[in-house]
Amino acid sequence: MHPHLSFDQAPPISVPYRFFLVAPWFGVMAGILLAWSGGDALASRWTPEALALTHLIAVGFMLQAMCGALLQFIPVAVGANVWRPKLVANIVQPLLLLATLLLVGGLLFSRPGMFTVAVPLFLLALGGLVVVVALALWRTPATSMSLWALRLAIGGLAVTALLGSLLAESLARGLSVPMLELTDVHLAWGLGGWSLMLLAGVSYQVVPMFQLTRPYPPWLTRWFAPLMLLMLLAWSAQIFIDPDRWLPLIALCLLLMLSAYAGSTLWLQYTRRRKIHDATSLYFRVAMLSMLAFVVSGAVFFLFPDLGADPRFAVWLGVLAFAGVFVSAISGMMYKIMPFLNWLHLQLLNPPLSAMPNMNRMIPADAMTGQLRLHVLAVVLLLAAVWQPGLARLAGAAFAVSCAWLGWNLVAAVRRYRTFKDQIRAAALHC
Amino acid sequence: MTTLIDGRGREPPEPMVLTLEALDTLAEGDELLLLLYCQPHPLFSILRKNGYAWKEDVRADGTHEIRIRKSPG
Repeated sequence: MHPHLSFDQAPPISVPYRFFLVAPWFGVMAGILLAWSGGDALASRWTPEALALTHLIAVGFMLQAMCGALLQFIPVAVGANVWRPKLVANIVQPLLLLATLLLVGGLLFSRPGMFTVAVPLFLLALGGLVVVVALALWRTPATSMSLWALRLAIGGLAVTALLGSLLAESLARGLSVPMLELTDVHLAWGLGGWSLMLLAGVSYQVVPMFQLTRPYPPWLTRWFAPLMLLMLLAWSAQIFIDPDRWLPLIALCLLLMLSAYAGSTLWLQYTRRRKIHDATSLYFRVAMLSMLAFVVSGAVFFLFPDLGADPRFAVWLGVLAFAGVFVSAISGMMYKIMPFLNWLHLQLLNPPLSAMPNMNRMIPADAMTGQLRLHVLAVVLLLAAVWQPGLARLAGAAFAVSCAWLGWNLVAAVRRYRTFKDQIRAAALHC
Repeated sequence: MTTLIDGRGREPPEPMVLTLEALDTLAEGDELLLLLYCQPHPLFSILRKNGYAWKEDVRADGTHEIRIRKSPG
């Protein structure tokens, strides 16, 4: 198409895809586990099943997909080139896969000994990833606000991994640490410092670009990352000092920040000139509405402490955060990134006009919207199952089928890529 | 002569495709003005490697204004 232009070396397409293709199947495992365990699994956040479910989603689904997105996104969005991305992906992804299975097995079967194997694998995989990504993010000359969000995100991942390793080692070796406080701090850095900051940093670029909105307001992009860092540091102080007085204030500030980000994203979608209702836009809407529901639920927690004292309330918040916000946003993102990457890498083959691939044909639109509807149904069932345990098996089955459908749609995108690639090569032979 | 490509209401990869097509016909001394809501780093690296110079300004509404010319010499 542009034979006289030389394109920069994009990371090989296998780098993000090996992460993306694995992620949904951890969601399938989570759904099957819930369907198998039934309603008792959701009685509190501390049941072995709830801990295993949380990590199947957080480390299995989310971390796999987010590592793949990070390695692909940072060269494109902030011009930061990761050192040997294929080698990094080939080492990090299988290590993470194995470490996640060991961690989940240890949590589910109450076998802390499995943690002693999982922890070094996590530290090796995530330590390596953090170092190469941090170097790339600090060397780039870019100055966008996305860059600061991504820098905080990679720092957040490092803190989350270190705290998680400390918790796992404490369980395995019977060390005396403030377990409850450490767990809350680990959770805050994992959800706020890593996951939300990465989502925000990616959103600043991807929402205007792919959902055709105006840019995020500068006050939000300028202050969101530094305020989040400040709040997380203050939140972490609960390990060392009595938090009774100021912890609610920090939680309130965090809720306000979440509502500012989610509200801005929904407002940008609502006020865009060209309305598109593809799966990515709708998935983002589901994610942001879930975030607002999380904010309202968190506020209820402060206004009615008796309700908040019910252990199921924390599970309700967890379902909103993990399944409602992050699984939705990540699924929507993968539905946009994979067709785009297919197109980009096929372009690098200089296809003749007759073999020009259409980005919208990479994953059938009906398959994506059908899967989205099933996902929304699964999230609603999961939320209902928190209070009506009889629904847990159905909710688990719906979530498993939804994630399997997502996984199948992503595999279909790879098959389309291969088909187009063969067509381009065949067309080139006949020229 | 200045050619304008307003990529702000267009879904990727359209802005990139239009820009690369316009570069194919960009004459010496002419300018290509690209409007986007983001910094197109992949385009920058293509421009750098293919002998184009560019200047970037950011408007108050967040629009990135990228002016592209053939590098002298």
